[in-house]
Parts: sequence; structure tokens; C-alpha cells
Amino acid sequence: MRRWPGALIIALLLAAPWGLPAFLLTSLTEVLILGLFAMSLDLLVGYTGLHSFGHAASYGLGAYAASLVMLQWAVPLPAAVLAGAAFSAVVAVPVGWLCTRATGVSFAMLTLAFAQLAYALAYKWQSLTGGSDGLAGVPRTAGPFGIEWFASRPGFYYLVLLALLASYAFCRAFVRSPLGTTLQAIRENERKALALGYDARACKIVAFTVAFFFGGLAGALYAPFAGFASPDLLFWLLSGQVLVMVIVGGAGTLIGPMLGAAVFLLLEHYLSALTDSWALLLGLIFIVFVIGLPEGLWGLVRRRQGPPALLRLSPPVPAPEREHGLP
Amino acid sequence: MSLTALLVTQGLNALSLAALLFLISAGLTLIFGIMRIINFAHGALYMLGAYLGFSLTLWSGSYWAGLAAAPVAVGGIGWLLEFLALRPLYRRDAGAFLLVTFGLALVLTESVRLGWGPDPQRLAIPPQLAATVSILDEPFPVYRLFLAGTGVVVAVSLWQFLERTRLGLLIRATAQNAEMVEAVGVNVRWIRSGVFGLGCALAALGGVMAAPLVTAYLGMGLNVIIEAFVIVIIGGMGSFVGSAVGSLVVAGVQTFGNFYLPELALAIIYLAMIAVLVLRPYGLFGHEE
Repeated sequence: MRRWPGALIIALLLAAPWGLPAFLLTSLTEVLILGLFAMSLDLLVGYTGLHSFGHAASYGLGAYAASLVMLQWAVPLPAAVLAGAAFSAVVAVPVGWLCTRATGVSFAMLTLAFAQLAYALAYKWQSLTGGSDGLAGVPRTAGPFGIEWFASRPGFYYLVLLALLASYAFCRAFVRSPLGTTLQAIRENERKALALGYDARACKIVAFTVAFFFGGLAGALYAPFAGFASPDLLFWLLSGQVLVMVIVGGAGTLIGPMLGAAVFLLLEHYLSALTDSWALLLGLIFIVFVIGLPEGLWGLVRRRQGPPALLRLSPPVPAPEREHGLP
Repeated sequence: MSLTALLVTQGLNALSLAALLFLISAGLTLIFGIMRIINFAHGALYMLGAYLGFSLTLWSGSYWAGLAAAPVAVGGIGWLLEFLALRPLYRRDAGAFLLVTFGLALVLTESVRLGWGPDPQRLAIPPQLAATVSILDEPFPVYRLFLAGTGVVVAVSLWQFLERTRLGLLIRATAQNAEMVEAVGVNVRWIRSGVFGLGCALAALGGVMAAPLVTAYLGMGLNVIIEAFVIVIIGGMGSFVGSAVGSLVVAGVQTFGNFYLPELALAIIYLAMIAVLVLRPYGLFGHEE
């Protein structure tokens, strides 16, 4: 019985193209893409305790790689998206190897510097990336086997939804796997994990690579969604924003960051319509969250133990102080 | 232009840039040394310094008044921010600080946008420094010499302050072992607040001095904070000497890189950083935490 809210949400998401007007479906697609992006960062921030400040690198790399293979060779859309994610993961191996040489704050600054290096390259490598203009006119290529359905608005929505659900299923299994629980052990006490004989560095590099794969997947979906890839996708402001989504939503929960992405886009949309200084409000909200509610929105939902007692279907579960993903 | 003249003028350019970068990275590394936090809002405070310097100069009619008052004001603001936003977090992990200071950077940038508007503000070079001098028959702006000189003066006096005074001793002791310092009866809270304020004031000083060169604009903090991070990584976290050496390295690489390899100029400092990191993971003057 405890599974029904999740099933309901998936059913609603599946039915969305029939019920929503076109522009809302487009917004929802964006929410799902950013949700996937935020969830990928949660693997590092929430589960491994690595505060990456350069996660935009994965997004931008995936976006550029997918755009290029579609523009140059008209690779079918789903294959191009996977290629973008794979490219991001391949780059993540050496970068992760270097970044994990440092810990804590140095790690954050290193990831940031690598993302800025990617930004600088995208900005300057005019012949490949189009420089500051980026790559315009990224198509939603047809295929595979001549299927053109993915290029349509609902078709693309379903492609994104499929990617998100598959990624979520994988990440959930990943954080509950022995490797995933080792990552959480490293987060809690790295020295102890080392003393127990775990190769903490190798585990971190794997986590980094997996996070980059899914971040790249999100970016590779964003480029054909928006129709362009620009250096802004690699800029550190995006790295900061996705971190905001993870923290506000609730780090270490996978679901929370997706919720955070939805709230972020909603706030951006409504606050920017209300006032010019929406970023000021956003910053304040963010500070309040970090200081006052470290477990995030999803933590709040869980602390309240779901719906009011009369509507509750299952006996209340005591909320753990922090999600460890252990059975 | 002869090669010697070119090298000398480019070298002086690099030195003046290094001075600006040093003011920012020294504050960053001091704060890191004593609080084990990275102040993401440092770039925003640098920008705030530039804008305040601009307004105070307009208001008082003197660049020197602006140059003196803006760092004091920003130092006070920094002290207040430490009190309001950072103190509740000392029991939490380093990540929380990174996030809160990122939030502060957003808030400060937006406050500046609200206060001064989106347009860049041009601060004139003070008349005493607006001339050029001839160095090996090449004209060179006096203002850049002033930057380089100020950088050297600030670096030496900070270094002497940390090495020779009792307060400097307490700051170094707190960086090494805060609990011990507290145990012998020193109020570590005040030292933390004070160092945070001092770091912010240094950033603001850099901002006021940069304003006549680059104008005060909203994105100025974003660009400079990344460079300051690179410097701190190259020099070693928490190392004062490291931030000075790192500033010289980054400024030199940038100035000469801009001249000889303009396509790579943006990327080259990151490559320098990666090179240092491969050889010495904790930076040139840093040591393992």
C-alpha cells in the first residue's frame, strides 16, 4: 500500500500529454530534465558527501556531444542522447581521478575549476562549439528505424520521462547496492571506511562517473529540447543552481532533488513574473533552507509523515534523521 | 618595441594584475585557514567594494576617501554576515558553508543590482595617477604601478602583522588549533569574526582598485572568484605565502598567455592548475589536512 503515491505520480506523468495544454507539457518536460540533472548530483552530494560545484560540466558536455553527433551525422535522437551521456561519463574518469585527489572544500573548488575549463574551451573552440553563440538549430533527429515520433512534443516528453524513470530505477538500485552503501559509509566516516579495507578513492571515482553519466543524459536531452547548446550550460551559475535544487529538495533522497528542481523552476517562473529581483528571494530562501532545514523539502514531507491522519493509508513510519538507503 | 621593453612592461602588467588577485586570494586563504571554510561570497564582496568605492568617491569627491572607506564598510558588512549567517553553522560540515556563502553571493549580487542598477559604473582614475611614465621608452600607466606598489605594501604589512604582532600570533594559533587557543582563554569567536571581516575588507580594497580599470559591473565578482580559487589551489589552501606566489603565477601566465597564445588564454590558467595538482595535490605551499 505504501507504494501507491509513487504509482499515482507515474500514472499522472504518463497521462500528462492528454490532460495538459502544450505549453505546460513543455514546462513539465523541462522540469523532468532538470529533475534528472539534480538527481544525478545527489549521488555525489547526498550519498557520497562530495560537494561538487562543477556539475554543470556533465550537463554541458552531454549537451554539446549529443548536439554535435546529431548536427554532423544525423544520429537518431535516442542514440545521440545516450552518446552524450556516455561522452560525459568518459570525460568524468580522468577528471574524477584528479578531483578526488583532494577532499572537502578543495574538491569543490577543483570540480568548479574543471567546469570552468570546459566553459573556456566551449567559449574559445569556435570551429567545433560555435564559440559564445553555441550550437544553434540542434534538431530532434528521426529514428531509429525511421521512427519520427520522438521529435513531436508528446513523443519527446515520453522520451524524457522514460529516461528519468529508468535513471531513477538505476540510481535507486545503485545507492542500495553494496557499492552504494560503501559510498554512504565514506560519507559518514571516510577514515573508518578506509580502515575497513574499502578503496575509498576508487569508489568515489565510480560515483563521480555515474553522476556524470546521468548529468550528461540530462544535458543531452536538454539540447534537443531547447534546440541549442551554449556555453551557459557549462557556466558555474548552473552548477550552483543545481546544488540549490538538491539542497532545497533534500539531499540524499533522490526524490527530493527532483522535487527541488520542480520548485526551483516554479519559483523562477512566478517570482520572475512578480519581481525583477527574484534571484534575491531565491538566495534568501536558499540560505534559510541550509541553516534551518538541512533535510530539505522532502525531509519536511517525511517528517510530517505524509498526508493528515484521516487520509493516511499506512501506519506512520518514524522518519529517520537521515536517509541511508539501507533496508 | 624592443624585446626587453616588451618583457619589462608585460612583467609590470602582470605584477599589477597579481596585486589585485593577491588582495582577493589572501582574504580567501586567511578565512580558509582560520575557519576551514571557502567563502563563495568573496567575489560578490569584491564587487560590492567596487560599487561602494564608486559611490563614496562620488559622494565625497575624492578617490582616496572612497579607497579608504569602502574596505571599512565592506569589512563591517562581512563581520555582520559572519555573525548572522555563518555562526549558526560551526557545528555543521564544510559543505553547509559552501552553500550558505553561495546563497550570500546571490543575495549580495542582487542587492547591488537593486541598489545601483544593471549598468556598469565607471570610476575615473584619480588625477594624480592618470599620467603615464616612460619605461625603456615605452609609455606605461602610472595607475598600474600604483596597483603593483599597493599590492606589495599590503602583502608585506599583512605578513609582518601575522608574524610579529600578538594578534597575528593568535590568528596563526587559531588556524593551527582553535580548541587549544580557546582553552588558554582567548575568545576564538572574535578572532573568527575579525578575520572574516579583514578578508572581506581586503576583497573590497581589490574591488575599489580594480574599478577604474575594468569599471564596476555586476559580473566582475564571478570572473575573479574563479581565478582566486585557482590561485588558492595552486598556492595551497590556507597558505599566505601560497596566495602571493599563486597570484604571481596566475597573473604571469595570464598576461604572457594573452600575448602569445590568445586562443588559449582562458584555458591556460586551468591547465597550470591541473599541472600543479598532479605534482602536488595540496598545492605548492599547502599540506595535507
